[in-house]
Amino acid sequence: MTAVTGTPEPDAAHPAHGLDEVVHQRVRLGILTITHEARRVEFGYLRTQLQLTAGNLSKHLSVLEQAGLIEVEKGYEGRRGRTWLTLTAAGTTALTDEIRRLKQLIARVETTDNPEDR
Amino acid sequence: MNTEAMHAGGDPRQLLSEVRALAHRVRVDQRMTWVALLVLAVVTLAGIPFDWFGMRLTCHADGSCEFARRGVFYYWPPALLLAYATISFWYVRTARSRGLGARVMPYAITGAVTTVVFTAAWVAAALYFPSHPAPIDPLPYWWFVLDRLVAPWGVIGVALLVLARLERNVALLLFTLAYLALVLLVLPMNLGFGPPHWQIRAGLAVPQLITGVVLLLGAAGFRAAARRQHR
Repeated sequence: MTAVTGTPEPDAAHPAHGLDEVVHQRVRLGILTITHEARRVEFGYLRTQLQLTAGNLSKHLSVLEQAGLIEVEKGYEGRRGRTWLTLTAAGTTALTDEIRRLKQLIARVETTDNPEDR
Repeated sequence: MNTEAMHAGGDPRQLLSEVRALAHRVRVDQRMTWVALLVLAVVTLAGIPFDWFGMRLTCHADGSCEFARRGVFYYWPPALLLAYATISFWYVRTARSRGLGARVMPYAITGAVTTVVFTAAWVAAALYFPSHPAPIDPLPYWWFVLDRLVAPWGVIGVALLVLARLERNVALLLFTLAYLALVLLVLPMNLGFGPPHWQIRAGLAVPQLITGVVLLLGAAGFRAAARRQHR
């Protein structure tokens, strides 16, 4: 006997249902993208590219670090403190999944936009 | 993108477009293409006197000559390895100063591997040809192309293809394809070049000079493009 619930399979549902709230956020998606592309990125570069205040960027980095998506390494170069970020394996997977779901969403919108379907 | 725009979600098309733009920005900031081409140009031009003075040349009474390019054999393997180490160092240093990691290691590894392949091919040829008669039938065209591909000027192009892929740099890909076409199909890098009355040494120096100048011009072009992009 198989129990039947009203919840559809995640993949059969609308792609928006699978979006990870931690990643599906403009700034955090930007942080993950830059870190993935750069392999390793410094706090100052992120702040410049994303046009954020240091405090604001720190808040987003905390969210990503607590979710296990990035690793933060603090150190010094001479007397200057520098914070470097790297993506974890979970971060790479989360970014890949987010981009896949965004593409699915776009494909779905384009399908429903087809005049023949109206 | 700013703090006010940090609402969740948004138009997926716009988000994806922003992701692509950010990734492209990072790749552009990681590039030091002109340094790679400049180092390779310097190595190529510096190799000309080594080839010239290191060549063992024996001319016979009938006017025919035999030559062995000892200078190329002894100069190029350490020069190429040093060049790839220098390029890697500059890539890592510059990327770090910009607050980024570098993606140059696969290029350096490819460069080192192709240098080993070139050296092994030249050692094999040096061991084989003195004890075997020269072929009577003319060698096929592809053999000459392969011979040029495993020469130092060819392996430089092969490694540059890897760099173009790593950087997803279409301009470098086009430059490298044109460079390889020049080296493999146009310039006779192993047979001499120039009017018949030219000496063998001069005939072999001219293609290297052209190759070095092409790399130098490439370095200047990519340097100018990089300055425009970072303004």
